[in-house]
Amino acid sequence: MTISFKSWLPRLTAVLVGLCILSGVAVGANKPHYLITNDDVPPPFATDVTVYTVDANGFLKLKTKLPTGGIGIGGGYFAANRVNVLNSGNAECIYVSQATSADIVGVVVRTLAIGGSARGSKNDEGKSNGIGLAMNAHYVYASFTDSSTIGTFQLLPGCKIKFVADITVAGLQGGVIDGMAVHGSIMVATYGDGSIESFNISAGVPVPNGDEQNSTGSRGGNTYPSGVDITQDGHYVIFGDTATSTVVEVSDISSGKLTPTVVYHLGNGISSSNILLSPDETLLYISNTQGDKITAAFFDKSTGKLSKGCVSGSLRGYVTDWSYLGSLALGETTGTGGTVYVAEFGQPSSIAEIKVTSAGGKCTLKEAPNSPVSDPNSPGLLSIGAFPPRPF
Amino acid sequence: MQSMLRYVLAILVFGFSFLRLEAQCPKRPDSGTVVQDALTVSSVNGALNAELTMMHSVDDAGYTHYCYNYATSKGDVESPTLRLNPGDRLLLDVKDRIETDDSAGMMEMPATPGKVCGDGGMMMLSSTNVHFHGLNVPPICHQDDVLTTLLQPGKPAFQFNIQIPKNEPPGLYWYHPHVHGFTEFQVNGGAAGALIVEGMEKFHPEVAGLKERVFVIRQQYLVPWVPGPYQLTINYQVAASPSFPSPIIDMKPNEKQFWRVANATIQDFMPLQVWFNGKPQKLQLIALDGYPLPQSRFEETILIPPAGRAEFIVQAPPQNNEAIFIALGYSTGPTGNPDLEQQLGRIQVSGGEEEAAETKQETNADEPATQASMKSIKFAELEKQKPTTERKLYFSEEFGGTNGPIQFYITVDGQKQKVFEANEKPAITTQVGAVEDWTIENHALETHAFHIHQIHFKVLEVDGKPVSDQDLRDTIEVPFWEGPGHPYHSFKARFDFRDPTIAGTFVFHCHILLHEDLGMMHKILVLPK
Repeated sequence: MTISFKSWLPRLTAVLVGLCILSGVAVGANKPHYLITNDDVPPPFATDVTVYTVDANGFLKLKTKLPTGGIGIGGGYFAANRVNVLNSGNAECIYVSQATSADIVGVVVRTLAIGGSARGSKNDEGKSNGIGLAMNAHYVYASFTDSSTIGTFQLLPGCKIKFVADITVAGLQGGVIDGMAVHGSIMVATYGDGSIESFNISAGVPVPNGDEQNSTGSRGGNTYPSGVDITQDGHYVIFGDTATSTVVEVSDISSGKLTPTVVYHLGNGISSSNILLSPDETLLYISNTQGDKITAAFFDKSTGKLSKGCVSGSLRGYVTDWSYLGSLALGETTGTGGTVYVAEFGQPSSIAEIKVTSAGGKCTLKEAPNSPVSDPNSPGLLSIGAFPPRPF
Repeated sequence: MQSMLRYVLAILVFGFSFLRLEAQCPKRPDSGTVVQDALTVSSVNGALNAELTMMHSVDDAGYTHYCYNYATSKGDVESPTLRLNPGDRLLLDVKDRIETDDSAGMMEMPATPGKVCGDGGMMMLSSTNVHFHGLNVPPICHQDDVLTTLLQPGKPAFQFNIQIPKNEPPGLYWYHPHVHGFTEFQVNGGAAGALIVEGMEKFHPEVAGLKERVFVIRQQYLVPWVPGPYQLTINYQVAASPSFPSPIIDMKPNEKQFWRVANATIQDFMPLQVWFNGKPQKLQLIALDGYPLPQSRFEETILIPPAGRAEFIVQAPPQNNEAIFIALGYSTGPTGNPDLEQQLGRIQVSGGEEEAAETKQETNADEPATQASMKSIKFAELEKQKPTTERKLYFSEEFGGTNGPIQFYITVDGQKQKVFEANEKPAITTQVGAVEDWTIENHALETHAFHIHQIHFKVLEVDGKPVSDQDLRDTIEVPFWEGPGHPYHSFKARFDFRDPTIAGTFVFHCHILLHEDLGMMHKILVLPK
């Protein structure tokens, strides 16, 4: 029997695709599944990260505390992401910032051992409000919120890093750097005065794109872009605003420069300084940082438009155990992310687990029965990350 | 932003500087003991001479103490209650003996340029001064000036020389440090004491002969970067039941006592109640913020904002009854600090039976004819004055992280939002003789406490509606904004600048001390006529 090319090609393709998927699944299955906190312990004590394993149901179990050899501050800006996770080829690293010691530490995921650390120039400081991180496959960028500088650190094998250079940045009204996100060769930053700016990072060190502007929301008053996320295709940049309600702004950046933002009022949750797109980009998760809830908005990645989605109930322990909500992380790397984790700033801090459902234009956010999970090592948790991270 | 940075630096460095310090402050009372009033130091022959030494130490639990030490033959005591008559002179020598820390230089702030009162120099964590909260006295050097008066460690004593006006309202005032940027640390450490202008019984004869108690409620935190709730204390005894045994307040069965309560906390709004027989009791309110009410009134709950005072008559239950003195929880809004319910004391009824006095449920219309006239004290009949100017001010915040809002503002409507700077020009300029109506709104998501130095103001409206009790206050709560779709909470009051002795520059601010330290404050200049 002969087999024609036309007949076996689709089969071969299917087999290859299947092998690839299985291979991917196998690789995924071999990867550890962690949730990592930057415990941000203030002086005089040494800070650390806490690592939790994530089980198949998305539940967290404390695995270990890993001293990182520096000192944190126990708080600061909501939008400064103090944990970034790299999952690029063989590079599996966790990077955390240490605000008082003003350095960045790399942790090897497979061994949970310190790979290396580096600090920026002597001018780079973040001991008042923290050091935020954003990264691509080659560099990790650190926003030093005291000095309002962005440090560029080159990624080296073994989760080591090397300081390259820093630049000083400022908002149009003199605001200091707040949130930051990276996509390919573009970095987008927010400033505390309501202005936003993008940078070209194709050569490593950020170069301003010349598009610094006050966001549309800030021009209206009382709403200030803080947290930043960028869509997988790099078409839109989304800003979570510090505001008296849930306010998100979206800018089309497909031209390589920020365009005037479109403002979305998405509910009565108090502020929206931290945001995170779901892996399938259908939902935008919003941490109502000065409130007690999480909000989800529907996102149309083809148009960049947002619409109201759903709001969680009051998360357990507000006021009695914790005071603020911090950054977000996801339990899964596909679909809606399955479980949304949010840092709860208290003493000790905790991590809330919120289950997501989304179908037929409706969604729900429901806190899991065993939530929150205590982070006994953090007197002021604001930043968490998941490994493996969202694919973009 | 700079002031925020300085403040956080102060927290980071000073919060742990105590590790090297030896105890300088007197030991504070053990939990579960009988609450004692502070030592009273009274004026004699028209003058009160006293010396206070500001010191600093840390207790076994790690709480940082700041103390106004007063030397007695039995050793130092803290924060005596100063008692003077209208017309008396207060001659108060204050020495700063706060031990400096090597790193303290990091927290320097420039003082108001130009004028120097006291030791001058930079405002530091170890600098201090004194504000005589509520007194209607001049805002000048050696009196009640907080803008240029600065005392530095190790320097000779600085003398405050203040004549209590002859028409000063009798009542409870208090004294505390007021160095911009660093006030919260020292008040949190307990540096606050009561000051009483005598004569309440002349306006409210119902307090004559009653046992008087002076309770100063303070607040302390162990870890300043966690936004509360913080521990309350009553006359320095920790009130944190059930974690600690409750303080004990002694009363006789059915006894009436005159309680004078100062809220010397850094941020706590306290709705006060006394409970027995399973319900809150009627408290006979006599005075607010050191100003006697024209007529006493009965209230179950008396709300005192941070820095406010309330003076009221409490009647103990009969023998074999339990009673408690409690501060209810108070919602300060989505971004405010949690003010949780806290029992301040357990009223222990013991001893001989007091003759049960009939509690007046009516106003004091039938009080003796010898009662002094309210017309004889400051701000009398202010409601009859025609305002010369109307102003609107508002509180607002920007909130970007856990270190509190990025900025705290109190703004005169029409001006740019900005935080207080020592070298700023006055936000308001007026003139002796002016009578102004101010409306103060709260655009922030947390409750604020408005305070103005040098004068009391008469409350006319709350949330745009006239109030039946037009009380004279120096500090008042302005509830938080509930968010979009809701109106701003506000109050309207009449401010009296007719007294020529208050000419000069002074301040108005939020009396949540963190907010004040971070710049929710501005200057007002009252030009002489």
